[in-house]
Amino acid sequence: MSGAIYMADDAGAVRSVELDGLVALFHAPSGMTHIVAPPAPQILEALGQGPGDARAILSRIADLYEIEEDAGTEAIEARLDELEAVGLVRRA
Amino acid sequence: MSDGPDQDKGALANPNRRMVLALGAAAASTVVTIRPALAQTAGSVLNCEIPVPGPQAGGNHIAADGTLVAPGTPGSYAPAPRPLTGEEVKVMLRGGGAPPGIDSESAQAYANYIRRLQSGMSGFTCYASLQMPR
Repeated sequence: MSGAIYMADDAGAVRSVELDGLVALFHAPSGMTHIVAPPAPQILEALGQGPGDARAILSRIADLYEIEEDAGTEAIEARLDELEAVGLVRRA
Repeated sequence: MSDGPDQDKGALANPNRRMVLALGAAAASTVVTIRPALAQTAGSVLNCEIPVPGPQAGGNHIAADGTLVAPGTPGSYAPAPRPLTGEEVKVMLRGGGAPPGIDSESAQAYANYIRRLQSGMSGFTCYASLQMPR
């Protein structure tokens, strides 16, 4: 079973600054600034490797971070909805 | 006595220690958007227009990935016959249908061109307004 495939803009479209646990993102194409909390920056980082659905994103994140053994994709899907609503990701 | 600091140092010094990431609850929101002043103009968004390409690139064709290329470049599309309206662009960017009179492949190239618009380029304010969450 696979869900919607998401993609992010090229890395050059977003400038990011780490702010003590949060990350400020300036999205040049929209001119908007977003402050995001984990795991949103990690989702964007995972999409930097190319488009993927929530399951692929979760697997990429698990390659880099320790996550709960039984972590499902629900939280990832909810974050993708938010990131899509503000224009940081879109459906491929 | 100094167990705490020593432990911290040990953890940081270990390159194999991976960061722990809590995915959190699905309901816990993680994005806050700072709206720039132009968000105030969003009222008339759907009536704004985006020329493809902008007048500064007049005559150029649009490649499938949205970059500007010389006319006649294989795989490129002629400029849009008229400026696209905000409403049309909004539909197009969400994977909806192509605007009337424009075939779907050209529309895809135009959508990619619009996604690449930067501040200062013709149509950028219109595009940015379309992105505003409501």
